[in-house]
Amino acid sequence: MSRFNLALKLLWRESRSGELTLLALALLIAVSSSTTISLFADRLHRTMISQAAEFLAADLALAGATPISADWLQKANEMGLAQSQTTEFNSVLLENEEILLASVKAVSDAYPLRGFLKTTDAEDLNTQIDRRGPEPGQAWVEKRILPALKLKLGDSLTVGEKKLLISRVLSYEPDKRGNFYSYSPRVMINLNDLQATGVIQPGSRVHYAFQFSGAEAALTNFRDWLKPLLTPAQRLMDIHDDRPELGAALSRAEQYLGLSSIIVVLIAGVAIAMSTQRYTERNFNTTALLRCLGCKQSEVIWLYTCQFLLLGFFTSVVGCLLGWLAQQGIFVLLKSLLPEQLANPSLLAYCFGFLNGLAILFGFALPPLLRLQKVSPLRVLRRDLEPTPSSGWLIYGLAATLVCALIWRYTEDLKMTAMILGVGLAALLGLSLLIFGGLKLARKLLQHMSLHWRFGLQGLLRNSRASVSQILAFSITLTAMALSFTVRNDLIDNWQKQLPAEAPNHFALNIFSEQQAAFAADLQQTFISSSRFYPVVRGRLTEINAEPVQQRVNKDSQGQEATQRELSLTTAAILPEDNKITAGDETWHIDQPNLVSVEQKLADSLKIRPGDQLTFSVGSEKLSATVANLRNVQWDTMRPNFYMIFTPGSLDAYPSTFLTSFYLPKEHKQLLNRLLKKYPAITILEVDQILLQFKAILAQLTQAVNLLLYFALLAGFSVLFAAVYATLDQRIYEGALLRTLGARLGFLRITQLIEFGLLGGIAGVLAAITTEAILFGLYHQVLHIAYRPSPYLWALLPGIGVAGVTLAGYWGVRDVVKQPPLLVLRR
Amino acid sequence: MTQSLTENSTFPIIAANSLCKTVSTSEGPLDILSAIDLSINFAESIAIVGESGSGKSTLLSLLAGLDTPSSGSVIVKGRDITQLSEDGRAAFRHELVGFVFQSFQLLPGLTALENVMLPLELKGDSQAETAARALLTRVGLAHRLMHTPKQLSGGEQQRVALARAFVTQPAILFADEPTGNLDSKTGAHIIDLLFELNQEQHTTLILVTHDATLAARCLHTIHLAGGKRV
Repeated sequence: MSRFNLALKLLWRESRSGELTLLALALLIAVSSSTTISLFADRLHRTMISQAAEFLAADLALAGATPISADWLQKANEMGLAQSQTTEFNSVLLENEEILLASVKAVSDAYPLRGFLKTTDAEDLNTQIDRRGPEPGQAWVEKRILPALKLKLGDSLTVGEKKLLISRVLSYEPDKRGNFYSYSPRVMINLNDLQATGVIQPGSRVHYAFQFSGAEAALTNFRDWLKPLLTPAQRLMDIHDDRPELGAALSRAEQYLGLSSIIVVLIAGVAIAMSTQRYTERNFNTTALLRCLGCKQSEVIWLYTCQFLLLGFFTSVVGCLLGWLAQQGIFVLLKSLLPEQLANPSLLAYCFGFLNGLAILFGFALPPLLRLQKVSPLRVLRRDLEPTPSSGWLIYGLAATLVCALIWRYTEDLKMTAMILGVGLAALLGLSLLIFGGLKLARKLLQHMSLHWRFGLQGLLRNSRASVSQILAFSITLTAMALSFTVRNDLIDNWQKQLPAEAPNHFALNIFSEQQAAFAADLQQTFISSSRFYPVVRGRLTEINAEPVQQRVNKDSQGQEATQRELSLTTAAILPEDNKITAGDETWHIDQPNLVSVEQKLADSLKIRPGDQLTFSVGSEKLSATVANLRNVQWDTMRPNFYMIFTPGSLDAYPSTFLTSFYLPKEHKQLLNRLLKKYPAITILEVDQILLQFKAILAQLTQAVNLLLYFALLAGFSVLFAAVYATLDQRIYEGALLRTLGARLGFLRITQLIEFGLLGGIAGVLAAITTEAILFGLYHQVLHIAYRPSPYLWALLPGIGVAGVTLAGYWGVRDVVKQPPLLVLRR
Repeated sequence: MTQSLTENSTFPIIAANSLCKTVSTSEGPLDILSAIDLSINFAESIAIVGESGSGKSTLLSLLAGLDTPSSGSVIVKGRDITQLSEDGRAAFRHELVGFVFQSFQLLPGLTALENVMLPLELKGDSQAETAARALLTRVGLAHRLMHTPKQLSGGEQQRVALARAFVTQPAILFADEPTGNLDSKTGAHIIDLLFELNQEQHTTLILVTHDATLAARCLHTIHLAGGKRV
């Protein structure tokens, strides 16, 4: 017990002297960032599970693109299950000369079976909970619809051909789906009004959902009865399954945020290692004395380990609290994208953050700490005796193991872990070599520099490894921030600028066959040139060469995504001009139905080759086709593009709608109103509006990521201070010596400014290089557009680096010149 | 073999037999000590004198178990400490030895009282504070208990070091140039205190010094030159 008390006392004394402050700060940053992500992800998962029934608005739900058989509903009735139904589709609203794409949901009287709806008045003053949807003849709208269409409560709203009264503002629905179309504002109507809208016709893109609730036994029986009858296009969900679209999106978000937090851990870890190294070096004499007084090697290590355990314990607790605060911040930033009611985080999530803190501390602090074990008691008589440095394998091995474990925790995929680790290590090594080379070159140029620059640069070269760590830490953080800023502000705009001047900026969907000719004629009359009209049939790929597709897909691949939803199938007499055939028959045999041309990347993902037999389910029917060829698709031409194109006649047996795209200048937007009045069932997507929405979502997401980057920046500064403090004694001595030899205070200040300015400047330049390289890859490989380097990056990043690092570093060494030279030299 | 050691015992408490220490240098092996023999009885005081580089501190470190010889042995209370492991020698020091250093070697973050308590706390002694207070009072620092080494003068720091060395009532006290960093007046006071405490506790005192006056106060003197006893 007395040994523990001694450890506590030594820790208390050390903390008061400020030795361990930096170490604790670095650990705090690391624990806070990883706890933030841990709590964020945990709350989302727990919300998913605890509110699963509410998310389904039922105990069991069946969803698909077609209505279900009345026999099934009858069976559910016989089993004593309550039922409700919802039908979702997109529709363009036109009111007061304003157009808005909305997501319409028609609900039956019993909806929702579980959970509730919330509505309010326009000023959000009178929120009420509703156990059922709007009455026939009424519509509940999401608040943003009112200003967009210049409407207020009590006004009428026309959906398709049906006029409805806007009675309430819809503020919450339990089972709002998390896909792209749910970002369109919601209009909720009664199911009895659906037919009158006239929007839904055979071939329309509609999402049908049937909800059931009741006794557990009845639900189980019904589910067991239903499962064998389901088509591949139908999905059964209950409260025990994750909802795939939400679950996948949340897993992805957790993964990205988690991997980002590892950067913070790594940078903070460097600061922890540097601080611990200084701490142990300053405790060599203490350790020697303790050994002299009879402490065994194991007892010495126990004493210091105990101190670090205590430090880690308290710091991790505070870090968990800060992490809790930060995750609240993330939820506020992403409020509009996430469920309204959120579960509290579990104790396990806090435990992860806490244990993570201890693991980070010992992962980076243990190697320098173990050095204390080797301190000889003879050092009490011979101060020059230093213990051998820790093995490089131990230092890097422990850190790499920790980082590996964290990456695996977020990816849960060994292959991806290895890949990320490999790429990360290669990048770090490459950058380190670049910096080392630069410093080596600078060393050769020293003799040609003025005295100020020589001393300033020597400050940087004093400890090359520490300088490289600092430069890396800052450049990685600056790069991440620059990328976040560019992605949010420039990426979409630059992509848009690359498009030809009159690239189509509108898509028209759900054009019924009987309307197609008239619609095309109307476009021509208004001198709007459109691309081709393509017939579209919704179908799902189910088999390849009689093998179910699920057996071919890799997790999270393009192929998996394409097989989990219905594809837009089309026919064409001529393949699109910009689609290049890459394999198979170059001749498109339009006289042979049931041949299909497949998009190259999807084909690669699903291992489809020319000659393969593909089977699709279209409604309740099956469609088979032979792969004629594979083709490259330019997805960003703003013209209709398809994964699957069939030869003419292949899809005649199925109901279809038509799709086209066209360019409409801003000044002629009012022409859209006329079109929509004449064709109320047609959906018109305004690309500009969609991009605006996308930009808004991206802005929110990048704000959440930026929260982590601020942690990274703080961690970067902790590395800087750790490096400064590691050399503080030497700096003080050198400063005293120089002043004794006649150097003025101003000379010392300028050399310090030069040293830190160079550090920040090099980090900034490296960040600019790295950012440009990553953006080049992004533009070239992903967006397929030309990339132009941005001059402002080259000015801004080095400028921020110089300013930030100089200020911080200068503050860190402010005491160097304050101490009287004689006193210093006497020590 | 055990013997009851009393104040009048002439059985050596510490003996060195053919003690040698050789180190490797860039110019080849260097003999720091060559065939040193000595024997010190219980409660005796012995001064090891010699010029700088004569091997005084090396001899002290070998006798105290801080280092191991290249050859030879050091027998303390019948045990050859050169055959002990690193931890074994630590245990030996824990049990039998006290130290006073030229540079005081106080822990800068601890107060005077805490520095003196340290050896007893390492032993798990629950009366550490009481004993430490008593000894600090004995050395005249009752009013400076809560001061850290930074707040004490050189002489005061060495008094704290003396208190720390004697608080465990060691059988053997090693002192390496205890007045080396002090002015002559302060040094004289420290030496008086050292010998007073030594007398009170019947400690065997082994002292390394340049100071002939200090050496003269010891019962025996060993002269070293070039690593050999002269």
